[in-house]
Amino acid sequence: MTAAAPIAGNAPARSRGIGALLAGRRESAPALVILAVLLIVDLWLNRAWMLPGSWGTVIGLAGPTMAAAIASMPAIMAGRGGIDVSIGPLMGFINIILVKVLAGDMGIDQPWVLVPVALAIGALVGLFNGLLSAVLRIQPIVATLGTYLVLSGVTLTLLPAPEGAAPAWLKALAGPYSIVPLAGMATVWLLAKRLTVYDWLMACGSDDRACFTAGIPVTGVRVFAYTLGGLFAGAGGLLLSALLGSADPNVGPTFTLVAISGVALGGVSLAGGRGGFAAAALGAAVIFLLQSTLTYFNVSSFLLHTLYGVILVASVSLNALTGRVAGGPR
Amino acid sequence: MPSEPALRVEGVSLAHNTPGLDERVHAGEIVGLAGLDGHGQDAFLETLAGLRAPVAGRILVRSGSAGYVEIDDFRHATRLGIAYLARDRRANGIFPSLSILDNFSMVTLGRDRRFGLISPRARRERFERYRERLSIVAPGGNKPITALSGGNQQKVLLARWLAREPRILLLNDPTRGVDQRTRETLYQAFRDLARQEGMALVVLSSELEEIFRLCDRLLVFREQGVVASFSGADMNSSTVIAAMFGRVA
Repeated sequence: MTAAAPIAGNAPARSRGIGALLAGRRESAPALVILAVLLIVDLWLNRAWMLPGSWGTVIGLAGPTMAAAIASMPAIMAGRGGIDVSIGPLMGFINIILVKVLAGDMGIDQPWVLVPVALAIGALVGLFNGLLSAVLRIQPIVATLGTYLVLSGVTLTLLPAPEGAAPAWLKALAGPYSIVPLAGMATVWLLAKRLTVYDWLMACGSDDRACFTAGIPVTGVRVFAYTLGGLFAGAGGLLLSALLGSADPNVGPTFTLVAISGVALGGVSLAGGRGGFAAAALGAAVIFLLQSTLTYFNVSSFLLHTLYGVILVASVSLNALTGRVAGGPR
Repeated sequence: MPSEPALRVEGVSLAHNTPGLDERVHAGEIVGLAGLDGHGQDAFLETLAGLRAPVAGRILVRSGSAGYVEIDDFRHATRLGIAYLARDRRANGIFPSLSILDNFSMVTLGRDRRFGLISPRARRERFERYRERLSIVAPGGNKPITALSGGNQQKVLLARWLAREPRILLLNDPTRGVDQRTRETLYQAFRDLARQEGMALVVLSSELEEIFRLCDRLLVFREQGVVASFSGADMNSSTVIAAMFGRVA
């Protein structure tokens, strides 16, 4: 029996300040340190970043990476090997639909059409992935790899080479208004956190068998996780279109690997049940800063991919190690 | 004892070619289940909870308006007022990476809703009530459940189900790996639930001492069926052990 237990009747104390931010976020600590270091380096290299006027652009540059990581997070958190590798191609597909098909071919470029379309496509594809992996119980990595291939194939069929121009309001999402989609995603997440389904999501990631004896509708919760991820990928598609300013069939798929590395680096457990919006966004921000630092020093983009792989393996190992050292569960 | 039982077991077979069981559990009664491991008492309790479909027969629960309702599955059973505290809390009970509060509220999440959103404050207040009632020794609701001792983890799991205010409580070896003092608290809690709140309890235990102290009635299982039923003075270690090993008429 553990002895160090204070007297009953002691109201549950809440740690405040920095302690509260980091409470239960031991896994995010390494990413936070790296973020601080890289931020200092980058601000020194690109002194223009310090001007408030350029913050929108910087966030716009980081936006697609961050959105991709945040979109990958719910499926991973739901546990049992949940993962959605189709997030990257999905963002690319949405980019083509918005800029090439709707704005280019059909001449529809109003925000109240394009934004709902982007979110709806994202949520629908997410739902489809959820049905494949949670209801039909196909291994998530295989099911979503199928979606990955289908989406990238369709994207290249619709548009073999980059072309087109995004409407001006959309481009502004990579400039002065780049915070809007990210803030929207954060709001959705904060609302979801106050719903029953969020606790169920954490429970599913924590322990399958305990879910069974607590009567949690595991399948429904997992479908929800993929759908929410898809919705976030919809916002990611908007940010990607904004940043590119055109329709490009080739960039989407590259975000999958970046996103998963970012999620792992931010401290989201790939086994599920640990992490969240802030962790995913943090990991993606670190990856983005690393990218821009290395680009500044003219490091080859091929080497960048090697780096993502190293980050992925290193952060997963680190997570496992800190868990073991702290005597945490499994 | 009221004439209308809270739970009716009608012709339930736990395996093929075994005779069907008929049992009744009344409100305010504590029924014990015993037997050598694997002789059906575990399967019987899981069947009562709807976690396992019986080979034959049905389980009926008295439900206020609708008379008796047959249970379909576990979720349906919990809606009808059955609570099941699983065996082996490490594997089947706790969510190791979640906080004490989250572990407590997992089956009653909807009750903390204020204007559609879950209020952390309502959840804390609700936990406080059960913490006092079961004298749970916990450093604070936001700490991980794994920071608690085994006995206190078990109390949190009991609180999780009591928060649903069930009418039938099924306990699968509830004091395994729990220290003596916590056991006494749990026994007292179980007795109060039955005597004062009129809950019907079915307790599976691998310790006869526990059954003698708690139960009004004991069913002994052997080869997937009930071989003997004891109550009062007939219920002592020699008769029960003899029944467990199949040495009774």
